[in-house]
Amino acid sequence: MNEKMKRGIIIALVAGFVTLLFGGWAVSVAGAIAGMGLGFFLGGKNTEKTIAAAIKAALGPIAVSAGLILVISLLDDLVVATAIGKTPNDPLTMIEVNLVAIISFFAFACLLTATSTLSEKKQRNAQIILLIFVIISFPFVDNFTGLRWTPQIIFALIFTILALGLNIVVGFAGLLDLGYAAFFAIGAYTTGILSSPQHGIFLNFWLVIWIAAAVAGTFGLILGAPTLPLRGDYLAIVTLGFGEIVPVLFKNLIKVTIQEPFTCWIIPAITKLFGASSSLACITFIKDVDLTAGEKGINPIGRPWLPFIGEFQSDNPIPWYFLIIAIILMSVFIIRRLRDSRLGRAWMAVREDELAASQMGIDPVRTKLLAFAMGAMFSGFAGAFYGAYIRAIFPSVFDFSVSIIVLCMVILGGLGNINGVIVGGLVIMSADRLFLPALKDFLAGLLKNTILPALAGNPTLKAAVEQNANPILYRFLLFGLTLVIMMAVRPQGLIPSAQRKAELVGDENEPTEPLTATEG
Amino acid sequence: MLELKDVHTYYGNIHALKGISLKVNDGEIVTLIGSNGAGKTTTLRTIQGLLKPRSGSIKLDDLELHKLPSHQVATHGIAQSPEGRMIFPRMSVMENLEMGAYARSDKDGIGKDLDRVLTLFPRLRERIKQKGGTLSGGEQQMLAMARALMARPRILLLDEPSMGLAPILVDLIFETIVSINKEGTTILLVEQNALMALSIANRGYVLQTGEIILSDTSDNLRNNDEVQKSYLGVV
Repeated sequence: MNEKMKRGIIIALVAGFVTLLFGGWAVSVAGAIAGMGLGFFLGGKNTEKTIAAAIKAALGPIAVSAGLILVISLLDDLVVATAIGKTPNDPLTMIEVNLVAIISFFAFACLLTATSTLSEKKQRNAQIILLIFVIISFPFVDNFTGLRWTPQIIFALIFTILALGLNIVVGFAGLLDLGYAAFFAIGAYTTGILSSPQHGIFLNFWLVIWIAAAVAGTFGLILGAPTLPLRGDYLAIVTLGFGEIVPVLFKNLIKVTIQEPFTCWIIPAITKLFGASSSLACITFIKDVDLTAGEKGINPIGRPWLPFIGEFQSDNPIPWYFLIIAIILMSVFIIRRLRDSRLGRAWMAVREDELAASQMGIDPVRTKLLAFAMGAMFSGFAGAFYGAYIRAIFPSVFDFSVSIIVLCMVILGGLGNINGVIVGGLVIMSADRLFLPALKDFLAGLLKNTILPALAGNPTLKAAVEQNANPILYRFLLFGLTLVIMMAVRPQGLIPSAQRKAELVGDENEPTEPLTATEG
Repeated sequence: MLELKDVHTYYGNIHALKGISLKVNDGEIVTLIGSNGAGKTTTLRTIQGLLKPRSGSIKLDDLELHKLPSHQVATHGIAQSPEGRMIFPRMSVMENLEMGAYARSDKDGIGKDLDRVLTLFPRLRERIKQKGGTLSGGEQQMLAMARALMARPRILLLDEPSMGLAPILVDLIFETIVSINKEGTTILLVEQNALMALSIANRGYVLQTGEIILSDTSDNLRNNDEVQKSYLGVV
């Protein structure tokens, strides 16, 4: 079996898996996306010059793959649906969804294969146009097919912004930050405080998001300053501590009093030292203010408003989706510019060798501080969006696991590579938010309707199976397993940056033989 | 041009430099020779600002270098090809060279200097896209020197450029040092290979356990009994 065929089958199996989990229209969406994936791969391998020849060469894997998807889909409708206790699609819908799936699979696969005959630049443009088309049409298709994936995808995109920001700190500047969730929390709480009834301040979202980014960036500087002399493990531990402190702080800032220090503590303390009593008037600026509402959390947080759309609503995810896409596009644009700027090169040099970098005239202090600040700034955007989207924020949301998940996205996607980090973020979060819950429902249905009745004779086994067959329980196990396998099989990440790849797998430029005399 | 006066440097409590005074004039090649642990590298690191002298002064013309942090020293015309090379292993040869010119902003000048160093080290031109870490030892040494030259320094500090290289390569590196000097760059050369160093230098200082015990022109040093016995291996 050749490589193209193998890839076609893998893609078909993934699409089939999605179909089994979600049922209904999922096969059409999965089919279309699988077609793009396969077409992209086949196009990359294509050596033919004319469109007809290219498609002809690719037709084998496409047909096999399409057939496989169709078989799994029919299996889902005819066998699996009853087994898990779902009502199967009626025959008319069944024909409809499968027809759409197969047609769109063929169309996209052939289209992308065909673009490989164009010049490199045109091919790239074609892919970008297709990507834009997918991004724009996604929420509408989702709405039409009733799959309701968009809210989860929005979550995935929030975390993608976090991953993009952390990538600046860890990927570009090489500073291991284990407390990144702290900046996310700071962004979210800034939004909460400035636009909720908690303090009666209702600033506009479009203003608050910038303030949140600025505040988070400032705290990036504040955290960065004490960690500057530290490297590697020590830095990681300090950032870890910061990540733990911030949520606790937000939990406890419920009785904030700010007094002017001289007359309140310093002078009374001195007079007390000499045994005298003082009766100075103490100036209190703020007394017992509930800044963050503790465990109760802040809600409701103000939402963005736009002309024609009005205020964004919870039951309509489409405006939110486009807003987060816009924030991601802006972030990617800024981060790309940063990476290619003088500052970006300084980050890379400091990551490689701090001493050597300072000999080149790079100020390591400034460079590292800016990495922390810039990284934190993007989590400010994410935090502001999160606060407005969820409407309520609690300190417990921003715990250590968030920092670790975001770090894993960066590593899984490919440390230092912007596109890789986006893919990593989408893969991990959609696995967590979309597939695990679906898998849980799937298994629960399967248990209730098929397996448990069969086990009725053995109550102990029945109880054990019933309790443990919930994949959500194994969330972190699966997550850790993925990472272990990933690190063993592909340590450079899904889409590695050129430099990491060279380091971890060795690129085509192997070390050369030493200079010989004749070349002198 | 560069003048050290009574410089004392410590590593913690260890008194590494015990009052070094030396002078490098414009256009010279000056060499600093001595055995392991004599303080040669420490001297260069102190000049570069990577180590702070506890007392004494380091002046580049009228500028007091010992008061500046290391990254600012680099912007005042001092570049070093460090011991152990310290190239950026995951950056390409080209990116390494660009990093050398980080403190400069004259695009035309950088382009010209790039051409110049690649003519000086043709081997680097062949390897321009290769990662620094995948170069051979000799190539890494060339890259370290070329990167230092990209800063268009007034004075180039070379730390053990012959270390770990085959004899034939050492000759090549030293020829290149002479031609860099002829193009107008002042050089302070630290070497264990005293014979080679003295053969190209104008003047030399002999360093022993943190002190300068001798200083003279190269020719006189080469004929000095003590130097011959201790550093040149003549019995």
